Amino acid sequence: MFDIIKKIVKYPRLTNNYPDKALDSSLFIGSPEIDTDKCKLCGECVRRCPSGAIKINTVSNSITIDYAQCVFCVLCEEVCRSGAAKMTNKFELATKNKVILQKSPWVIDENNIPYESQALDDLLQSKIKKTLGRSLHIREVDAGSCNGCDYEINGLNNPFNDLERLGISFVASPRHADMLLVTGTATRNMQLALLKTYAATPDPKLVVAVGACACSGGIFRDSYATNNGIDSLVPVDVYIPGCPPRPQAILYGILKALDKV
Amino acid sequence: MSMLELKSVLAKKFAECISNYTLKNSNELYIEVDSPVTYNICSYIYQELGYPLISMFAADEKQLINSYAVYYVFADRQEGLLLIVKTMVKANKMEITSLSKIIPAADLYEREIKDLFGINPLGHPNPKRLVFHSNWPDGKYPLRKEFNLKQKLDFVQEKISFQKVEGKGVYEIPVGPVHAGIIEPGHFRFSVAGEPIINLEAQLFYVNKGLEKLCEGQSIEKCFYIAERISGDETFANSLAYCQAIEKIAGITVPQRAQYTRVIFTELERLTSHLGDLGGICLDTGYGFATFQFRMMRGWAYNLADELCGMRFLRSVNKPGGIRKDFMVGKKSILLKYLQKIKKELEDTVDIIKSHSMFIDRVENTGILKPKIAADLNAVGPGGRASGQCNDVRKSFPYAVYDKLEFEIPKHYNGDVNCRMNTKIEECFTSISLMIQAIENMPEGKILEPVTRVEPYRFAFGMTEAPRGENIHWIMTGEHNSIYRYKIRTPSFCNWPALCHAVKGNIVPDFPLINKSFNLSYAGNDL
Ligand code: SF4
Ligand code: SF4
Repeated sequence: MFDIIKKIVKYPRLTNNYPDKALDSSLFIGSPEIDTDKCKLCGECVRRCPSGAIKINTVSNSITIDYAQCVFCVLCEEVCRSGAAKMTNKFELATKNKVILQKSPWVIDENNIPYESQALDDLLQSKIKKTLGRSLHIREVDAGSCNGCDYEINGLNNPFNDLERLGISFVASPRHADMLLVTGTATRNMQLALLKTYAATPDPKLVVAVGACACSGGIFRDSYATNNGIDSLVPVDVYIPGCPPRPQAILYGILKALDKV
Repeated sequence: MSMLELKSVLAKKFAECISNYTLKNSNELYIEVDSPVTYNICSYIYQELGYPLISMFAADEKQLINSYAVYYVFADRQEGLLLIVKTMVKANKMEITSLSKIIPAADLYEREIKDLFGINPLGHPNPKRLVFHSNWPDGKYPLRKEFNLKQKLDFVQEKISFQKVEGKGVYEIPVGPVHAGIIEPGHFRFSVAGEPIINLEAQLFYVNKGLEKLCEGQSIEKCFYIAERISGDETFANSLAYCQAIEKIAGITVPQRAQYTRVIFTELERLTSHLGDLGGICLDTGYGFATFQFRMMRGWAYNLADELCGMRFLRSVNKPGGIRKDFMVGKKSILLKYLQKIKKELEDTVDIIKSHSMFIDRVENTGILKPKIAADLNAVGPGGRASGQCNDVRKSFPYAVYDKLEFEIPKHYNGDVNCRMNTKIEECFTSISLMIQAIENMPEGKILEPVTRVEPYRFAFGMTEAPRGENIHWIMTGEHNSIYRYKIRTPSFCNWPALCHAVKGNIVPDFPLINKSFNLSYAGNDL
């Protein structure tokens, strides 16, 4: 007992204050970016990118990285001969709109962005957020991940992140949940379970797609056994890119869904 | 037995039946065998020579030899030899004789081959679907070359049944695929009488992504990134197995500095994983204080990973031919600082939990995996070592620079949660010591010998000791630097059946604890 008290005194508080205090991200490898001034549109990264995330538009002569597909593998930086592709340490990448993710970093065609919600939806949304804003219950569903994303979600419960300090907790059943946090590509064999879990979650509910797999199928796209992202099966409120996104990136996405960041 | 002796023994016994001996990559002996005698030769190797079956797979080689091939991989772990029996299966006679009755470990492999290739294991005791669930139409075999990767087949409703245990008072508890905790999906069917579990059948493959098919025809470069994503928390072990196979095929010698660096990352991954498992065991016994101690240490291990490479899951660290960057430059002091800190804390915490009699009561004699069953099923990793199976790829098939470093393999015999916990605790200390040895002895120099062109239709094994145990990949290259066939066998594939045995006779509430003590990967099993 004495030893235990000693430890508790030694480590009174490990929890970091994210998101109130910014995280030191200098060591992180985050999203890649392409410097348009340097880029010669040679297409080397497009050919080599393992997840097919980089696209060149020959009409507008522009190049884009689809963050919904990118697996943050650093290869584009390595193969770029003109030093245009660079990894940044940005990790707060969650967005509500997939088109923004897909067209980043530039050339967003205003007309193409679907409106996130119409007037009625808006009203409903603000009600949801008011209702769920103070305490949020999350059910995690692994719909076919590599388990990387799940371990990072688990990381939210460790003493460094301690999610419960924000009034957010994980629950054991979708029937008790306000939000589904879904990882994985939605495999053929998980498809039904995902739909059933979604149906079992009471309205109003939020769905957050965690990781490249859930956002777009990631590196496992276009296989006979997977779907290209969970939004082919259930409506998604927030997309969190990354492979896997680190715990704080997931936290950022959860808060984004609540309009708290 | 050395390679030469082995060859002469086999030649003497089965002279006419073996048509071809090929030695590859210094320790892989392939023998080609006519299908009628495969059964006899395999049972001889298993029963008389005592080599365990460590992998078994098929390949569609119609383009090359006008038939399918089935490979049975046996290992001599003392000598570090692989003996591979290769037998042809013609397209008009898609069958093999099942070995499951004499080699229990063959059971799952044969069912897997049946699902993916449509090769029938004649005489199999339980030829039920493995990879596919009831939604998969009959007669579709994805690993045949003519199967189109991108096609989406209709959902059907085939019938699959679970093992039935009958008797007075016996009832079933179905659990999953979506579980209460934050874990991967799988369906467990318990047959229970009163409190104790009589039988457990696990239906897995919920997260099957068609990974092996996905790699076929893709570039070696791209498949490396897929290999990293076989099982998230075993990223490095899998990527290393992949790299080893490619390096063997390309005939490349990996620079020493890269090899030492690989040891550091392999052990860091193991340490992180084991600390998480120990925390999980404590959590499932309701021991909050210890759980958070382990989670804290695990957090430090992740911080260390961030310090070394900026990736918590050690992705994009490896590269066929070496490592991507010289990660260890100027990192010695920070590495040592973290390791000392974790070691000290781990020592303290282990002292505390081991003096907690209620906790020890809970883990002792819970979930016993008997050594005999562990051997029959080829249980590997900490799960095997806790049941007397003292195998470790780092010793039996040394890779990187493990033969130059000093370490012991833990050995326990009781096979309960306590033994698995102790194995993992001891391995944590071993990993710390190995990392320290590696950083101390690391030479200067190159870190990468790039792989440029790889000959087509060459093959090799890549073997690593993942945190969960023996990890075996087999790669056959295709034209233009692509992959023709990639067979992945992770330790979880071997240990799932072992887990199902270990829970028998225990009460249902102890299942999560026993499960945690193995902590198997669903993704690594389902592929
Ligand atoms: S970092 Fe992203 S965009 Fe760049 S090569 Fe990798 S997956 Fe493609
Ligand atoms: S996004 Fe990446 S880390 Fe997450 S499940 Fe998919 S492959 Fe794994």
